[in-house]
Amino acid sequence: MTANSDATAGNSAADGQAAGRREVFQYALRRFGVYLFTLWAAITVAFFIFRLVPGDPMNILLGNLTRAEGRQRDAAAEEAIIARYRQIFGMDEPLPLQYVNYLRKAVLGGLDLGPSFVEYPAQTKDLVFRRMPWTLGIFTTSVLLAWLVGTGLGALIGWLQRSRLSQLAVVISTLLQITPVYLVALGLIIYIGYTWRILPAGGPYARHLQPEWTWEFISSLLTHAILPMLSNMIVIGAGFTLGMRALMISVLGEDYLTFARAKGLSPFTVLKDYAFRNALIPQVTALAIIVGATLNGTFIIEVLFQLPGLGTLFVQAMGLRDFNTMQAVVLFSIFAVLTLTLIVDLALPLLDPRIRRTA
Amino acid sequence: MPALLEICGLTAGLQSRRAITPVVSNVDLDVQPGEILGVVGESGCGKSTLAAAIMRLLVTPQVLQSGSATLRIDDDKAYDLLNLSENDLRQLRWRHLSYIPQGSMNSLNPVLRVERQMTDALLQRGLSKKEASDRAIAALELVSLEARLLDSYPHELSGGMRQRVIIAAAVSMHPTLIVADEITTALDVVTQRQILQELAAIRDELGATIIIITHDMGVVAQIADRVAVMYAGEIVEVGSVSDIFQQPLHPYSQGLIASIPRESGQRVEGLPGEAPSPWNYPAGCRFHPRCPKVFGRCREHAPASQPQGPDRWVACHLYDQETASDD
Ligand SMILES: Nc1ncnc2c1ncn2[C@@H]1O[C@H](COP(=O)(O)OP(=O)(O)O)[C@@H](O)[C@H]1O
Ligand code: SF4
Ligand SMILES: [Mg+2]
Repeated sequence: MTANSDATAGNSAADGQAAGRREVFQYALRRFGVYLFTLWAAITVAFFIFRLVPGDPMNILLGNLTRAEGRQRDAAAEEAIIARYRQIFGMDEPLPLQYVNYLRKAVLGGLDLGPSFVEYPAQTKDLVFRRMPWTLGIFTTSVLLAWLVGTGLGALIGWLQRSRLSQLAVVISTLLQITPVYLVALGLIIYIGYTWRILPAGGPYARHLQPEWTWEFISSLLTHAILPMLSNMIVIGAGFTLGMRALMISVLGEDYLTFARAKGLSPFTVLKDYAFRNALIPQVTALAIIVGATLNGTFIIEVLFQLPGLGTLFVQAMGLRDFNTMQAVVLFSIFAVLTLTLIVDLALPLLDPRIRRTA
Repeated sequence: MPALLEICGLTAGLQSRRAITPVVSNVDLDVQPGEILGVVGESGCGKSTLAAAIMRLLVTPQVLQSGSATLRIDDDKAYDLLNLSENDLRQLRWRHLSYIPQGSMNSLNPVLRVERQMTDALLQRGLSKKEASDRAIAALELVSLEARLLDSYPHELSGGMRQRVIIAAAVSMHPTLIVADEITTALDVVTQRQILQELAAIRDELGATIIIITHDMGVVAQIADRVAVMYAGEIVEVGSVSDIFQQPLHPYSQGLIASIPRESGQRVEGLPGEAPSPWNYPAGCRFHPRCPKVFGRCREHAPASQPQGPDRWVACHLYDQETASDD
């Protein structure tokens, strides 16, 4: 048979695999650079945005103080108090210098994000650390569960695209997906929480309990977590279902699927190795995107269900124009989202050999 | 000798909300064991629809309307591919019935290694891992590819290599019949020629029967034993390659041959006009709006396929026996 140029090109294909590993490393490195840059950009934007919101935190603080003490002070005393607070919160300096100091302390001072107003003199860092498990627990669990359920369900209704049941599932998912998360949460609170009293719909755990390692407390914690997580899951899960369905349908039209069928593979293998396997890649990317887009929904859910997470902390801080706390919440949320996204992105080359080339 | 594949009255179309528009109408075609049959016609005339219909791989909105395609293997066993259960058909695939679909550039799954894609079907047919990979390597050899390619991902291969991998996969079980749709279309001329040579060698070595589908008369001339010329969803002429090239009977065949690019570069009188889409196949002879020899009855009556000597068929009123015509 003929010797040909293509056969020699085969050697370079095999050599390319060593280069492929190097490219994956470079991809990871580049991806990490993007991660750091995004983190910095987010802090910077948060720093300036909150300072542009009208309302001087000092006046609000002073008003609260006055109300608490029940008497007026003279102007000079007020001036002195304000000056003292400005110094404590590092607000006596020009804005650019404040910004530089903030970054310096955050990076070099072991995440010193300043004291909070909401719970002065508690450090914002400690406040955030205390609240974060609630948010991350609910958010991560519900997004991951929603992704798993949505991916499975979407794959199934995409595969059975013309069946009645599948079409019904599409209609339901579409309705759920366009419903705002707070409506779903309110619906669950009203019906399941109060009208039918099936599950608790407010607070982190039963009022009479203390956090401790007892079955009673843990089960109370878990039952209280069901409705908040369900609110998040319903809306996000519906989106994941529709997304996966669309991906499956487009993959089912690919030439390699026809070829897989032509090979006489069992339908299950075609579904698993050719359709699902390929639709999964953009679905994982979708997870990374959704992670960023749905954190605010979790904040709303926390407020509605009265959970002591970052969302409720943020609302409290906003009332006081507590820049330090607001920034810290934003910083940690962005950090959490970016980290999850980074993990997803770094996992992608494992799923998709082409990323080594295109990244 | 009985035909290996006997296609009878195959009609397939496109399903719309209301009706089915036939794309391929009433195709009758025999394929002899061991031959390479070329199916040729302009782009859009329904060749791929015909191939996918035989393979039972039509995808919505394509639908099979009627017909049979009887495959005879192992002396006495005959299977009607168009009416076989999905499961029984699956047993025939790859072992007896291989398909190289159009668009082979994208026929490999981008996320699986070549080895996996060449062996998964073999493993499901009970071969051991060793046997499957030996067969894959042997098949790659048939298309001048090295065994080390098994470790590659499709995107690491050139277009020509991918096409070869697909061919290798399709012949790895030494199938009885191979349907190959436009396998050289996206390739440069040199690679085209090599791949066709390899395919012809595969036929000789494995004793396979091949239906090669192409819009390119040059491909037919290079590799086929017999030709079926297709126009607007119908087979208009069938004959041996030498007969068709030396003395094409149907005016469409004559036009196709006349428009083969010559060495000198100038295209001689090609086919004027455009092939109709399935939604406006003309009445009467479907070729009549473009036919230089059109006459009265062509516009109203569709010509039936008539034998013209041994193994020669044509569907054109020019060859109607006067006694048989009633107008
Ligand atoms: N899935 C499809 N959707 C819409 N039109 C199609 C589809 N498949 C084929 N057709 C139409 O049917 C006709 C024949 O197509 P095809 O069988 O691919 O022709 P060929 O392979 O000869 O180029 C064309 O007009 C094409 O547009
Ligand atoms: S039947 Fe008439 S129109 Fe059709 S090809 Fe023959 S001569 Fe031309
Ligand atoms: Mg085609």
